[in-house]
Amino acid sequence: MGLTCFNHIALEENMAVETMQSYGPAGPDPDRGMGEKLMALEKRARLIYTLEVGLVWVVLFVLLTLALMLLNFDPQYVVEHFNFVFQGLWVTIQLALISIAVASILALLGALGRLSTNPIAQGISGFYISLFRGTPLLIQIYLIYLGLPQIGRQLTILGYPQLGQMFTLSAFQSGILALSLNYGAYMTEIFRAGIQSISYGQREAAIAIGMTRLQTMRRVILPQAVRIIIPDIGNQFIAMQKDTAQVSVMGIWELTYRANRLARQESKFIEMFITAAILYWLLTIVSAWLESRIERRLAHAYER
Amino acid sequence: MHMNDKYIIQVEDLHKWFGMLHVIKGISFSVQPREVLVVIGRSGSGKSTLLRCLNFLEEPSTGRISIAGNSVDTGPGVKVDHSTIITLRLSTGMVFQEFNLFPHMTVIQNVIEGLITVKRMNKDEAIPIGEKYLEKVGLREKRDVHPIRLSGGQKQRVAIARALAMEPKVMLFDEPTSALDPELIGEVLDVMKEIAYDGATMLVVTHEMGFAKDVSDRIIFIDQGLIVEDGPPEQIFGNPLDERTRLFLEPLRKVQHL
Repeated sequence: MGLTCFNHIALEENMAVETMQSYGPAGPDPDRGMGEKLMALEKRARLIYTLEVGLVWVVLFVLLTLALMLLNFDPQYVVEHFNFVFQGLWVTIQLALISIAVASILALLGALGRLSTNPIAQGISGFYISLFRGTPLLIQIYLIYLGLPQIGRQLTILGYPQLGQMFTLSAFQSGILALSLNYGAYMTEIFRAGIQSISYGQREAAIAIGMTRLQTMRRVILPQAVRIIIPDIGNQFIAMQKDTAQVSVMGIWELTYRANRLARQESKFIEMFITAAILYWLLTIVSAWLESRIERRLAHAYER
Repeated sequence: MHMNDKYIIQVEDLHKWFGMLHVIKGISFSVQPREVLVVIGRSGSGKSTLLRCLNFLEEPSTGRISIAGNSVDTGPGVKVDHSTIITLRLSTGMVFQEFNLFPHMTVIQNVIEGLITVKRMNKDEAIPIGEKYLEKVGLREKRDVHPIRLSGGQKQRVAIARALAMEPKVMLFDEPTSALDPELIGEVLDVMKEIAYDGATMLVVTHEMGFAKDVSDRIIFIDQGLIVEDGPPEQIFGNPLDERTRLFLEPLRKVQHL
């Protein structure tokens, strides 16, 4: 019985191959209606599921709002001071955008160093990653903002005033430097993994037509690696947006600093910090949406 | 120049170790211009490694390689100049078992990539050359699609066009049909035949004995890192001199209708 069955399938497969070999236009499938019906059912099931998940979100949101009301939440205070907090959003965005750009460059250099056979490049990148991943961001911020000027003063005493001045950075510059160095260290490993995920055959094909290592990296490996690591970079970008809150310790007038200031004025902590939190939240939602759009764009070459 | 100008490739006493594994144990051979040389042997015999040593995808452990007048000596502690290696790679074109097309580029971009990046041509110069070679492999109408939309056979033909576009002195084929579905092998072999009839110098590592028999001028049989037999196809298939050649070919006769 089993054998007959097998023969039957083999026979059908042969027939299928023969049909495929005739390249003419395929005739209409008599069972097309059934296929359409199945598709419609699947689509309906998907829609219902999406609606259900949406409903859960709405319920959670309502519950949260009710809880806030019970906790003596003062919406009037939020409305009055929303603009003041909102103005910090642009500073936050600037910090995050500049820092992710610089961090990506550092991460690329770090990854090339990690993958290099040059002992100096290998040593520097390994040391960099270990140092900046191994210490808290907050301490890095303090060291750059408060520690570096100390070195600058020493250099001025030693007779290099111009060099010394370069060690005194504004709060904004310090924030960008700290965030870039810290995230660059984490992202080095992302870039390294992305580069290594491209098959060795790609490298061989490139060098076989005479490309140098640098050309191979720039023209063949990186364009493919970037597509793979875009979701991870997006993830880091979102994490960084929230870590910009830590630079408020230097008195940069970004979201958290502004919210904190008003919260303390009249002890309206819930009102102000919830306002800031919602603004961060919205920012990350927009970023996630942008990231998915970029991802889809880069997938173009890989769609059948 | 003490090397013989009669030959376009000369290999002298080539050895390759992978760690303690001695894969190529002293191979010497020469190839004349326009000659089609097929390399056969069991998997693991060292035939692919031999091919990959010629363009330094693998650095030979010791020995001398000379292609189109450029010779390179290798040995323990000898640092081979990178520009010499690039010269060697420019005089060879390679076709891989796994095609290795660049997936982020369209077909035409794949074919002209070397012309633009390595030969520093501008697009206007490179595109007609690219189209000429796509025409050669019969895929000009696919010029603007990405590799993912091609069949295996079409991918390999684009890969052949990419290698040809660099106008190398020698074409190296590393098992070009081994990753293909049986019904797609023919189209790739047809393109290779055409290139051979056009007068290209070709080194082909393959298990396609039919191709070896019909197209090659000479066959080298490699076993355990050494050339066991080197002769015209009539000798190899009709009356092999070495027992090992006969033992290798015997089971293939039935399957490949030799």
